[in-house]
Amino acid sequence: MNEPEQQDLVFYRSGGGRVKVPAAVLSVMQSYAQHDPVATEAGGVMMGRYIASSNDVVIDVVTEPMPGDRRTRYSFYRDKRRHQAAMDAAWEASGHTCTYLGEWHTHPEERPTPSEIDIKGWNRRLCQDQFDEELFFLIIGTHEPRMWAAKSATTTWEPLKIKK
Amino acid sequence: MANVQTQFDTFHSDKKTGIRLGRFKKEKQLRDKRNVIRRRLKANLPGVFAKYGEPNLVPKFKDQGSYKMNTGIKPLAGGSGYDIDQGVYFETPKDGEGAYSPLTLKKRVEEALNGLTDTIRIRRPCVTVFYKENGVEEAYHVDLAIYSARGSNSDGKDYLAVGRVGDSLSEQEWKVSDPAGLQHELFRRFEDDTHGRQQFRRIMRFMKRWKDVNFSSAGNGAPRGIGLTLNAHYGFTPTYSDWLNRTRDDLGALRKLVDDMLSRFSHQYREKRQEWGRCLIAKLPVEPVSDVYENMTLVQMTSFETKLKDLKAALDAAHEESDPHEACKGLQKVFGSDFPVPAKSDTARKAAAGAASSGLSG
Repeated sequence: MNEPEQQDLVFYRSGGGRVKVPAAVLSVMQSYAQHDPVATEAGGVMMGRYIASSNDVVIDVVTEPMPGDRRTRYSFYRDKRRHQAAMDAAWEASGHTCTYLGEWHTHPEERPTPSEIDIKGWNRRLCQDQFDEELFFLIIGTHEPRMWAAKSATTTWEPLKIKK
Repeated sequence: MANVQTQFDTFHSDKKTGIRLGRFKKEKQLRDKRNVIRRRLKANLPGVFAKYGEPNLVPKFKDQGSYKMNTGIKPLAGGSGYDIDQGVYFETPKDGEGAYSPLTLKKRVEEALNGLTDTIRIRRPCVTVFYKENGVEEAYHVDLAIYSARGSNSDGKDYLAVGRVGDSLSEQEWKVSDPAGLQHELFRRFEDDTHGRQQFRRIMRFMKRWKDVNFSSAGNGAPRGIGLTLNAHYGFTPTYSDWLNRTRDDLGALRKLVDDMLSRFSHQYREKRQEWGRCLIAKLPVEPVSDVYENMTLVQMTSFETKLKDLKAALDAAHEESDPHEACKGLQKVFGSDFPVPAKSDTARKAAAGAASSGLSG
């Protein structure tokens, strides 16, 4: 078989429903995967839609590293101003349906797991705001991406299974 | 599963873009034409029979076909146009003394209608009256199926006059035919099941539009609409996303039907063409219990199967897809441009923009 084209990435949510990362969106993030031994971490926010009358979620756009962000081999600092502007523009353009869904960043490991810094950051995020919906955190490893979901005001992280 | 029932509903029933042939505007026009034909036949046939020294036969009329069954769809632009089927029954035997040949009786009908429109054509199964509209030559038509009525035949059956001009006597045929029996057979299982009956009709319309979009309308290349109707008769199961509330799931029903049709393709002997080959059969559940696909060639059968597989792939993909926008884009490829694709913003709940935060990840 030929090398398959980049395909949509779909995760199962625990309560039913799915999180879809379309191929085009995935390839944006994959382009930052840290295959090169000196490649630095990258990241951004994920935005998309809660599909009406379903538990499905579609990631439509992600922001990429921007000026003001700081990237090293083992850390990524996101400066909120420019990411916020990008989010506001996407939200306006979508008739107020393309919303903040969570965050993504890369790790220089094959099958990524959240670092302590990640967990602290995510937990802070969950306590800061009240979201009715779950938030999603995606880490792009060098071999595979992995996603976790959590509800606001909780600190329970649930890994999501990839749909084959 | 993307919920695309709203889009199937629009595709089927929307007043402007829906494929369902309503019982109003266009059909009123067709009904008017049908009534003109009925009156014209009653007025002119006595003179025509007298001219040939034949006893006068008074026709009886019955609606038939997709109009009667309420399974009609709007034609595609550039296709064969709107039509309505009309059964014309004569009390004359199919054989024995004084029997007409099928073609002769059809010629009497043609002659009685002479001058009604510019184009009246005897086709093998019917006499067709074409109508012009807005400069389109054959914008719509009325098909007249001519019968030798059961009361005149010793076996008590209706026979359809089959044959076109130029057919020898042996090529013509009085073919036993029972459109009313067929309709009864198709719908009797839904006598107490309104939801099931309505979905059955919708699914038949979707399959017919799929056919119009994916096959050239010329010749026998496309499976006949009645064949798709019979495939649905054997393969359709009412399908709901919520049984208790009868929440319809037309995508699910179509997937089951197309799976069923594909599973019935097999290597079989085709009697009419006297050949073996991979084919799908659509057998009439009433007389003459023949295969309505019997005239399709094996090449056409292969194309039919290939296109059905494409349809299945599109239906399965829509089922798998989480994004209704993408699901409907795929469905539009197989059902044509009348299938609506919702804007992304129409597929989602409204939400706040959300706030980005600065943060460190490691």
